[in-house]
Amino acid sequence: MKKKFLAMALAAVMAVSLAACGGGSGDGGDGGSGDGKGGSGGGDGVSITIFNSKSEVQDQFEAMAEEYSEKTGVNVEVYYSSDTVAAHLATRYSANDPYTLSMVDAKDVYSLAGEHAADLSDQEWVKNTDYAISVDGKVVGFPMCIEARGVIYNADAIKNITGKDFNPADYATLDAFNGLLEELVAGGMEAPTGIMKEDWSLAGHYLTESYEEQADVEGFIQKLYGGTADLANDAKWNAKMDTFDTLMKYNYAASSPVAAEREVSEQKIAEGEIAFMFGGNWDWSMINAYEYSENMGMMPVPQNTSDGANEKLVGGGSKYFFIDSSDNTSEEQRQAAKDFLNWLVMDPEGNAFMTEKCNLVPAYSNIDAAALDPLSASVKKYADEGKLIPNYDYLPDDHYSICGAAFQEYLAGQTDRAGFAEKLESYWSSTTPVEH
Amino acid sequence: MNTNTMSYKCKQFLMFAGVTTVVFAAVVIIPFFYGLYLTFTSWDGVSTQKPFVGLSNYISTFSDGAYWQALGRTFIYAIIAVILVNVVAFVLAYLVTSGVKGQNFFRAGFFIPNLIGGIVLGYVWKFVFNRAFVALGDSLSIGFLSTSWLATTNGAMLCLIIVSVWQYAGYMMLIYVAGFMSVSADVLEAAQIDGCTGLQTMVHISVPLMASSFVQCLFLTITRCFMVYDVNLSLTKGEPFNSSVMAAMHVYNQAFTYKNYGTGQAEALILFIVCAVVGVLQVYIGKKAEVSA
Repeated sequence: MKKKFLAMALAAVMAVSLAACGGGSGDGGDGGSGDGKGGSGGGDGVSITIFNSKSEVQDQFEAMAEEYSEKTGVNVEVYYSSDTVAAHLATRYSANDPYTLSMVDAKDVYSLAGEHAADLSDQEWVKNTDYAISVDGKVVGFPMCIEARGVIYNADAIKNITGKDFNPADYATLDAFNGLLEELVAGGMEAPTGIMKEDWSLAGHYLTESYEEQADVEGFIQKLYGGTADLANDAKWNAKMDTFDTLMKYNYAASSPVAAEREVSEQKIAEGEIAFMFGGNWDWSMINAYEYSENMGMMPVPQNTSDGANEKLVGGGSKYFFIDSSDNTSEEQRQAAKDFLNWLVMDPEGNAFMTEKCNLVPAYSNIDAAALDPLSASVKKYADEGKLIPNYDYLPDDHYSICGAAFQEYLAGQTDRAGFAEKLESYWSSTTPVEH
Repeated sequence: MNTNTMSYKCKQFLMFAGVTTVVFAAVVIIPFFYGLYLTFTSWDGVSTQKPFVGLSNYISTFSDGAYWQALGRTFIYAIIAVILVNVVAFVLAYLVTSGVKGQNFFRAGFFIPNLIGGIVLGYVWKFVFNRAFVALGDSLSIGFLSTSWLATTNGAMLCLIIVSVWQYAGYMMLIYVAGFMSVSADVLEAAQIDGCTGLQTMVHISVPLMASSFVQCLFLTITRCFMVYDVNLSLTKGEPFNSSVMAAMHVYNQAFTYKNYGTGQAEALILFIVCAVVGVLQVYIGKKAEVSA
């Protein structure tokens, strides 16, 4: 009998500890909002959750959430995950615990909106932006900011050698750009360019420009799917590749380009050891970690073309909020989420949060931004002048990875341009078209 | 008390194993079968719909060249890594049981890499391969060190193998140490009296008596090498040109990055079957080789 008692006791201990674990994790999930309620001192007690996918502004978001909760009585909890956005949201949706507001990339809005996003067409901010995303005639995506791609330059480093102020517009053609690079090399800057070897940069950002700058983007993509696009003889693609060859020729890591680390490249451009690198205004969050030069900026990718693409950056709205439309989110929560989005755009404090605290280029005509970082200031200048070539948001999900691998081979000199074109063509023709 | 009735047996089972069974079912058995079900759908991971598509995920698995390349690569990596890990671990174990001064210190030292998580370890070694070796190669003008190994296809594989050996050798060494200690001194002394050389003692006495250590070590290293993901992610991330993507990483990309959840799940299932077959086969063969003194 004694043994039996002992066994029962042990089993009970196990069961209790298990229950404690289970209960514990359950509490963990709700604990945050519970505490939040206490902190805000009552209010109407609505809680909303925000998923932030811009790691560089997570601290700012958390601080803002606290202030916003205090002011409005709506509890705001901000979450961040370093996971792939779609993968992270997938786990939340399969747990029936979606975020009220989720910040995702444009392509995710298209894939999620049909089933999960609430209609925002009647919102006040819609008329102030050109970048909102509509699906099936309904506005569902709230653009958080404008981001654009181009060549980052360090004007101070250039001036140190040439002795003249750097005016990017003078170097719009590849010939002029080549001349400048030669001058820089002659002046003692051994290797004036850097190339990020990451697949998302090569294929997700640079290669895509050769699609986005086509006269008929959708038609060109359809030709790629159909296998009838002849990249090797395509003027735009070749113009881009000519420029890339130049960047490769003067690359500081030319001896081992696929070993170049992003941190090192960003540091070199920040400190003026190199003068040019293809990137986007998001790179500032890395550049500002170093002793950066005063005068930096972004310019269009130089190329020998007459279509005007070398006067424009490529980009547009980036990072979109959508509001969950499922039964897991109550009407009150949805309303609170809508109020929050309106606060961002319509309230001076919300504006200040986006432009001053988070350093984002506003996507709204009523918001002014004077104190942006140099790269974002360039982007804003091009955006205000209407010189942005829109992003193409319907690329297949594996495009950047598979084409990026092919691009890396080209960068490493393991394949020539014809071989690269062939790989791209065979990728496209074997891929199922993205429906949209 | 009658201990042979069905109800008594059930009670006994529930009392001792009930909780564990429930937990095991909840976190292993049910997800396994649910995963099996997902391989027959074209779920994208987020949608509320899980359209049934029959065997088409398996068909796309078999036509997914990148997956088979990754699996082949994993085989090569696993074979080389398993052999090296065990050779190094065995030699280390021999050295730290042969009575050298401070052998406990060495045992602890060799074991420490295993206590560092794979992700951290990958980043540390990435720094070593990308910066430290390159700086060393440049300053001493050693040609093969002056460019990063991680930038070439074979180099990246080599780096993965080196790091795996460094990580696992200490752990396996502990198991081999236990094996060496379990060989009784009487037998060794008897062999010595009979005129065995050191090598003969090792080959004919020690090794057969520690066969179970070999079985355990091989099983652990084989399964770990086939499932390698963390070091792969932080050390090479599949680069250069996706040429160091191992099977597990390809499965992850397929399911979550390319959003083909069903295909990814089907590929994971095939990886599981491969691991299970290799593992079980190896244990079966190994058990046969075991002898008792």
